[in-house]
Amino acid sequence: MSQPQKKIGDTLLKVEDISLSFGGVKAISGVSFEIKEQEILAIIGPNGAGKSSMLNVINGFYHPQEGTITYKGEARHQMRPHNAAKQGIARTFQNIALFKGMSTLDNIMTGRLLKMRRNFLWQALYWGPALKEELAHRERVEQIIDFLEIQAIRKTQVGRLPYGLQKRVELGRALAAEPDLLLLDEPMAGMNVEEKEDMCRFVLDVNDEFGTTIALIEHDMGVVMDISDRVVVLDYGRKIADGSPDEVRGNKNVIDAYLGVSHD
Amino acid sequence: MGVLNEFFVLPFLDIAEAPLFFIEVIIGGLSAGVMYSLVALGFVLIFKASGVFNFAQGVLALFAALTLVGIMEWGVPAPVALLLTAAVMVGLAFAVERLVLRPLVNQEHIILFMSTIGLAYFLEGLGDTLWGSNVKKLDIGIPEQSFEIGGVLLNQFELVAAATAGTLVAVLAVFFHYTRVGRALRAVADDHQAALSVGIPLKTIWVIVWSVAGIVALVAGIMWGSKSGVQFSLSLIALKALPVLILGGFTSVPGAIVGGLIIGVGEKIGEVYWGPALGGAIENWFAYVLALMFLVFRPQGLFGEKIIERV
Amino acid sequence: MLYREAGQFKSSYGADQAVFPIAQDRWFIAAAAVFAFVVVPLIADDYWLQAILIPLLVYALAALGLNVLTGYAGQLSLGTGGFMAVGAYMSYKITTAFPELNIIVVFLFSGLFSAAVGIVFGLPSLRIKGFYLAVATLAAQFFLIWLFNKVGWFYNYNPSGTIDAPPRAMLGVLITGAEAQPEVKYLTALSLLSVFALLTKNLVRSSVGRAWMAIRDMDIAAEIIGIRPLRTKLLAFAISSFICGVAGAELFALHFGSVETLAFDINLSFLILFMVIIGGLGSILGSILGAAFMVLMPIALTNLFVGGLGMQAVTAKHTEFMVFGGLIIFFLIVEPHGLARLWQIAKEKLRLWPFPY
Repeated sequence: MSQPQKKIGDTLLKVEDISLSFGGVKAISGVSFEIKEQEILAIIGPNGAGKSSMLNVINGFYHPQEGTITYKGEARHQMRPHNAAKQGIARTFQNIALFKGMSTLDNIMTGRLLKMRRNFLWQALYWGPALKEELAHRERVEQIIDFLEIQAIRKTQVGRLPYGLQKRVELGRALAAEPDLLLLDEPMAGMNVEEKEDMCRFVLDVNDEFGTTIALIEHDMGVVMDISDRVVVLDYGRKIADGSPDEVRGNKNVIDAYLGVSHD
Repeated sequence: MGVLNEFFVLPFLDIAEAPLFFIEVIIGGLSAGVMYSLVALGFVLIFKASGVFNFAQGVLALFAALTLVGIMEWGVPAPVALLLTAAVMVGLAFAVERLVLRPLVNQEHIILFMSTIGLAYFLEGLGDTLWGSNVKKLDIGIPEQSFEIGGVLLNQFELVAAATAGTLVAVLAVFFHYTRVGRALRAVADDHQAALSVGIPLKTIWVIVWSVAGIVALVAGIMWGSKSGVQFSLSLIALKALPVLILGGFTSVPGAIVGGLIIGVGEKIGEVYWGPALGGAIENWFAYVLALMFLVFRPQGLFGEKIIERV
Repeated sequence: MLYREAGQFKSSYGADQAVFPIAQDRWFIAAAAVFAFVVVPLIADDYWLQAILIPLLVYALAALGLNVLTGYAGQLSLGTGGFMAVGAYMSYKITTAFPELNIIVVFLFSGLFSAAVGIVFGLPSLRIKGFYLAVATLAAQFFLIWLFNKVGWFYNYNPSGTIDAPPRAMLGVLITGAEAQPEVKYLTALSLLSVFALLTKNLVRSSVGRAWMAIRDMDIAAEIIGIRPLRTKLLAFAISSFICGVAGAELFALHFGSVETLAFDINLSFLILFMVIIGGLGSILGSILGAAFMVLMPIALTNLFVGGLGMQAVTAKHTEFMVFGGLIIFFLIVEPHGLARLWQIAKEKLRLWPFPY
C-alpha cells in the first residue's frame, strides 16, 4: 500500500531495559524500543507476550521494577497515570473502559477535562466564563464527533451502544485530549471487516491530519502490515524483532514465535 | 502536658501495675470478640456466595433468639426448640431467596444492600409482632459459674461460648473445603457467571448460605441473648461486627474470626484504659477508628492479597 | 401529541445544553414553581406544612446532598446523619454566638463546617472502595454523634442536652423559633432547596460532574485520562456534606426547633439513603421524589392501620415496620432505578401519545 510520504521525526518516547514482574511472574524482561514522532508503531506478539503490560508501563499504570522511560527528552523511572495524561499521552483499552452511565457526548467531554480551567464555583453558576468554556469545548468535541461519524449517538448512554461503536467512542475520548502520543490497545478486536476498515481509516486520518504519534497493539496481521510504519514484536516478555513490516515478516524468530517452536 | 500524660503515660502505668487485671480485660475482650466473630462470619458467608452485604445479619440473630425464646415459652424442651428454630431459619432462607434475591438477581450491589435493610425492618417488625417487644430471658442451661486460674477470674459461660464458636468455625472450614457443596460455594464466590455456566445451581447455593448464616445467627443470638437478655439491642451487634469486616475483609472466614478477636480485645482495652480520658461511652465508634487506622497501614485487610488491577 | 420535541430546533450548543431543552418541560416547571411558591402556602394548613411539607423539603435537600456523593460520584456513605448533625450543631453555635448574623448566612456557614468534616472523613476513600468505604463512613456517624453528646460546649451546656432554635428574623419576618409562621419556614426551605437543586444540576452537567461520574463508572480509566481520584472524591465529599450540613441545620431550626443527637442517629442516614435509592441514583428530581415517598409512606401507613383498621398504636407500630420493610423490598424489585426512571418512562410514553409507536 502506498502511503503519502510522511515526515517521521525524532524520538518521542524511548523505553530502555524495562522489566516488570507481578509477584515473581515476569511480564516484561529487558525490553527497549523507541517511538518516533509521527509514526505508527505496531506492537505485536502472541497472547501473554506482555504487550498490554507494555502500554500500561508507558502510561504509568504499572510501575516497572527496572528500566527508564524517556518521554519528550525527559527520563524517568516511572510516571503517574495522571502526569502521563497531562503530558499528552492518551489511550484506549483492550476491554473498553468507557464510562457506561454517561452519554457519548459526556464521555468524549471527559477527554477534555484537563483542558478545562474554571473551578467548581463558576461551574455551579453555569454562567459567564464557565459557560463560555463549556461551549468552546463542546464545539471541539462536536468536531471529533463529526470526524468519527457518530453524530446520531451523541446523546445515547454508551452502555447501550454496540461494541464497534463503543470502540469508536473510546477513540473519540482519547482524541479529545489532543494527545501527542496515542496508545491503542487492540482497537479492532472483535470487529467485522467493514468496522475494521472504518477504524483503520480513522487511525490513518488521525496520524495524517493531526500528526499524532500512534502506538497500537493488534492481532490482525493484515491490518498491522498495512497501516504501521514499524513493528515491534514481543514474545514471552522479550523483544524478538523490531523493524519495518517487511523486515518483520521475514524474521525467523517471529515466525517461530507464531508457529510455536518450543522455548527452552 | 496533662492530656498527653492521660493518653500516653497513665494507661500504660495502669497496665504495668495490675497485669492480672490486664489479662482479665483481654479475656473479657476475647469473649466479646467471639460474638463479633460469629456475626461477622454470617456477613462473610453471604457476601462470599452472593456478593450481598447483608445488613440484616444482626436482626437475623435477634429474630432467631426471639423465635427460640418464643418456642421455649410454649413449654417445648430446649433441644427440640433449638431444632425448631433452626428449621425456621432454613425456612426463612428459602423465603429470602425466593422473594428477595431471585427477583433482584443481577441488580447492582447497592440495591441488594438496600433490600437487606428493608429485610431488617421487616424481620424486626415480624419478630416483635409474633413474640412481643419486651426484654426476654433466654436460658438454655449453659453453666455460668466463675472460677480462678492463677489469680485470673474466668467464667464457664465464656469458655462454652468460645468453644462453641471454635467448633462452628472448624465445621464450616471442613464444610467449605471438603464437601461438594463447599466447592460449589467457593466457585460461586469467585465468579457467578462462570459458576452458572458449569452448571452450579445458584439458587440452591443461596438457600444453603442463607441457611448457614441463619444458623450462625442463631448461635450468636443464643450466646448474646443468654448473657444480656433478648431485646432489640441484640440486633445492634451487627454494627459492632462491621469494623471486623473492614479489618478481616468481606470475603475471608479466618479474617472474620481473627478480626473479631482483635476488635473485641482492642475495644475492651480502649474502653478500660483510654475511655476515662475520652469521657467514656466510646464503644460505639472506637472499633471503627481502630479498623480505619489499621487500614492505613494495610489496605488489603488482614488476610487479603494485594490485588493487581488490570485494564 | 401535546408533549413532543419535533420542530424545536436548536441553533447553538448553548440552547442544546439548557436544563430543560424542551419547551413543554419549561412550562411544566414554571407551573410547578408557581404552585409550590404561591398556591401551597395559601391552601395548606399547619398540619400539612409542619408534619409533611417542611420535613419533605428538608429531607429532599439532604437526599440531594447524598445523591451528589453516592449517585454521581459513586461513593457509598452511611454517615449522612453525622454530617447533618454537624450542620445542626454548628448552626446552633454560630447563631447563639452571633445573634445578629442573618440566619441564612448561619446555615451556609454551618454547611462549610460540615464540608470540612466531610473532607476529613472522605480521606479513606482514596484507599478503600465500595462497602469498605460505607463501613468507614459509619465511623463518622458514630464518632460525630458521640462528640455532640459528650462535649457540652456544642449544646452550650444546656442541662437538658438539647439545642433549641432561637427566634431569628430576616427583613422583619421571623424565620426560626417557636413563633415563626409555618408558611415562612416552608418558603425558606423551598427556596433553599430550589437554589441548591439548580446549583447541583449545573455542577453535574459541567466538568466537575463528569469527573465524578467518570470515577463512579470506572475509576481506573478515569485516572488514566488524567482525573485525580483523591481531589475529585474529596470535592464530592465536601459538596455533599455542605448540602447535608445545610439540610441538618434546617432540620434543626426549621422542622424540629429543638433536637438532641438522637435525631441524627444512624436511622436518619438510612432514611436519606433510601430516599436517594428509591428516588433514583444520579437524579436531582429523584432526590425530591424519593423524599416525598419516604415522608408520605409512613404517614399513610399509620393512618391506614390506626385510623382505617382501628389497630392499637403499639401493634400498628410493629406492623408498620413490617410493611415498610416489605414495601421497600417490593419497590426495589419493581423499579430498581427509582422514581426518576418511572418519570422518564412516563415522559417517553407521553411523547408518542396517543399513538402506540
